[in-house]
Amino acid sequence: MRFMVIRKADEETEAGVLPGPELIEAMSRYNEELVRAGVMVTADGLMASDQGARVHFSRTGKTTVIDGPFAEAKELIAGYDIFEVDSLAEAIEWVKKWPVEDGHGNAEIEIRQIVEADDFGDAMTEENREFTQRLRDLTDGRAKE
Amino acid sequence: MRFMVMVKADESIENGVMPSAEELAEMGRYNDELIKAGVLLAGEGLLPSSSGALVKFNNGTPTVIDGPFTEAKELVAGFWLLDVKSKEEAIEWVKRVPCTDGVESHIEIRRVFEADDFIAS
Repeated sequence: MRFMVIRKADEETEAGVLPGPELIEAMSRYNEELVRAGVMVTADGLMASDQGARVHFSRTGKTTVIDGPFAEAKELIAGYDIFEVDSLAEAIEWVKKWPVEDGHGNAEIEIRQIVEADDFGDAMTEENREFTQRLRDLTDGRAKE
Repeated sequence: MRFMVMVKADESIENGVMPSAEELAEMGRYNDELIKAGVLLAGEGLLPSSSGALVKFNNGTPTVIDGPFTEAKELVAGFWLLDVKSKEEAIEWVKRVPCTDGVESHIEIRRVFEADDFIAS
């Protein structure tokens, strides 16, 4: 099963503070360990929300665009990994080893299970299974890069 | 440049309501359009936060909190990773996301770091 491991934002990530050499080194070591264990599928870091936007869809489908930055740094996302593991408990064990250099030892990491085709039940028609497989192939293609 | 496009959760998603076959197919067609245009790098959906957990570090010590988490509107329900030329292009694609009729939706667009962005530091 797969989990999206979300590093929540904080005031520093939202202020655009880039990681220093110590953090980059610690994070590289951690990522290498994840790759060696066959756990890491892919990962990305996000720029501060001032580089982003939000699109709001009303009940009638009308769209409104709001440019960043957005308040509430703690509700925002600063980066993510995708883990392939056997259980939530295994994902948690890996996250507990997150480098303490990150967020000065105060990082918050949210772990969320990724949906699989079979989770959709009867809605997963043959056609939808093909749509879903094409998406999964993209992610797996990135993992091999 | 790459952008992460996140669909925010709502109460119905957090309650585990799954899309219908038709809604899934509509999303599949939209995804195929992104693939055909060469802008889609990845896309995944997330189960409700009840199947997740939060690990909070306090001065290096982790505490684990099991889901579900409140504040459905701040949670992510799924995401796409797009490779486009500008934020405006990302916004144009996002405006065409098939959202369920009669339901308000919030989609957040965030720029993704490239390896070069760290070298300057």
